[in-house]
Amino acid sequence: MEILKMDNVSLTYQTVESETKAIENLSLVVEDGEFIALVGPSGCGKTTILSLASGLIKPTGGTVTLMGKVVDRPSADTGYMLQRDMLFEWRTIERNVLLGPEIRRSLDAERRAEAEELLKKYGLWEFRKHYPNQLSGGMRQRAALIRTLALWPKLLLLDEPFSALDFQTRLSVCNDVHKIIKSEKKTALLVTHDISEAVSLADKIVVLSQRPATVKSTFTIDLDAPTPLKRRESAGFTKWFDTVWKEVSV
Amino acid sequence: MKKLKNGHELFVQKSKRRKVKIVAIQLVLLVFLIALWEIAARLYWIDSFITSSPSRIIKMLGELGSQGLWTHIWTTLYECIIGFIVSTVLGCAIAVLLWWSDFLRRVLEPYIVVLNSLPKIALGPIIIIWVGAGAKAIVMMTVLICIIVTIISALNGLLATDEGKILLLRSMGASKWQILTKLVLPGAVPTFLSVLKINVGLAWVGTIMGEYLVSGAGLGYLIIYGGQVFKLDLVMTSTVILCFLAAIMYFAVALAERLLRRK
Repeated sequence: MEILKMDNVSLTYQTVESETKAIENLSLVVEDGEFIALVGPSGCGKTTILSLASGLIKPTGGTVTLMGKVVDRPSADTGYMLQRDMLFEWRTIERNVLLGPEIRRSLDAERRAEAEELLKKYGLWEFRKHYPNQLSGGMRQRAALIRTLALWPKLLLLDEPFSALDFQTRLSVCNDVHKIIKSEKKTALLVTHDISEAVSLADKIVVLSQRPATVKSTFTIDLDAPTPLKRRESAGFTKWFDTVWKEVSV
Repeated sequence: MKKLKNGHELFVQKSKRRKVKIVAIQLVLLVFLIALWEIAARLYWIDSFITSSPSRIIKMLGELGSQGLWTHIWTTLYECIIGFIVSTVLGCAIAVLLWWSDFLRRVLEPYIVVLNSLPKIALGPIIIIWVGAGAKAIVMMTVLICIIVTIISALNGLLATDEGKILLLRSMGASKWQILTKLVLPGAVPTFLSVLKINVGLAWVGTIMGEYLVSGAGLGYLIIYGGQVFKLDLVMTSTVILCFLAAIMYFAVALAERLLRRK
C-alpha cells in the first residue's frame, strides 16, 4: 500500500530579493512498512521535502498525498521528529510524551495507557516523572521518538534526528530507534547527510540532486542484517557506502 | 567510599561556614556604620543638624508615630503596589498582543523605542493636568516608568522561543493559541520573573518621583517637605523607612520567584 506519494512536486520560495526554486518535479513513493532515507548535498532542500510531506507547507506545483488524501495541513497521520529533541524543559517526560494527544485534544485514558506502554517498553518508565535536563542525550532522543509515536502516526518523518548526538550515543540511539520503528511496524522517511547512517538504517536510499532538488537515483539496500550496528559490520556495507557516496558527490 | 563521604561532608561544612561568615560580616558592617555615624555626631566630628544621627532618627520615628506615620507609609506603599501590579499585568498583556501580531509589532516599534528613551518625569505636568493632583497622578507616573521596560523585556522573552519547538507544535497541528499557551508562555516564565524584579525597583522610583511632583502625604512627600524646611532628621528617617519597604518588597518577589521555580 502506498502511504506517501509525491507526484511531480515543485516548490518555489518567494523572498523580496529573489525567487528560489527549492524542488523541481520530484516524484517519490513510500510504501507501507518501508524505511526510506533521503540523502543529498547540503542545502538541497531535504528538509523542505519533509515539510511538504507533513503539510507544514504546500507545494507550488504537483500533489502530495497521504494514503490517497491530499495533504494540505498537518495531520495526525504523520509524526515529525526533529534534529534536536525539542523536549519542553518544564514538563516531565510523561507530560512531554503526551504533548501530541494534548494538542490534538485526543488525550484520554486509552491514549495514556498506550503512552505508558511505550515508556515501559523502551526503558523510560522509571524516568517518567523526571525532567528532560535530568536525562542523557540518548534517553532524551528516545523520549522524543516516543512523543512522536504517541499520536500513532502512519508515517514518521525523521529530520536528521541523530546529528545533535555524539558519535558513541548516535550509534546506540540509531539502533534503538531502528528497533522501535521496526517493532511498531512504522513507515519512515529519514533525511540525513550522513551516508553511513542512511546505509545502516534504510531499506531504500533516494539520492537527491543539487538544488532545485529532484530524484537522481534510488537504491534498494540488500544488506541482510537485523540491526544498524550489525549492518555496519557486514561485508556489503562499504560497497553500498561507496556507491551512494559517489552518486551524491558527482 | 567512607573517605569520599568525609570529603563531601567537609566541603558542605566549609561552604556552610562561608555563608555564616558572609552574613556575620554583613551584620557587623551595618552595626559599625551606624555606630560610627552616632559617635561622629556625638563627638561633633560632623554636624548632626545636616547629617542627622541614628538616635535622632529613632526620636523622629517616635514623634512621627503619633503624627500619622502609618498613613504616610500606607499611602506610599499603596501607590507603589497598585502601580507595580498595573504596569506588570498591563505590560505583559501588551507584550503578548505584540507577540501575537507581527504587523502590530512592526507598526508600534518606533513608538515604543521613543517612549523608552523619553524621561518620563518630563510628562509630570501633563499627567497632573490630565488626571489631577493626587494618588492617581502618582500611580500614573509609576505605571509610565515601569510599563515600557516591562513590554520590551517581556516581548523579548516571548520572541526568544525556540523556532524548532514552534515547528514541532505546528507539525502536531497546534493552533496559534495552543502555541502561546503550551509553549511560549510557560517558556517565558523566567523572563516574567526577572521582569517582576526589575519592576519592584522601578515602581519605587516612579512612586517617589510622583510624590516629589505632587502629593499631600507619603514618604516622598515627607522627604521633600523635610528638605524644604531643613529638617534633615525627617528626610533621613523617611529614607530609612523607604529602604526597609523596598527591601521587604524585593524579598517578597524573590521568594515568589523561588517558589515558582521549584515547581
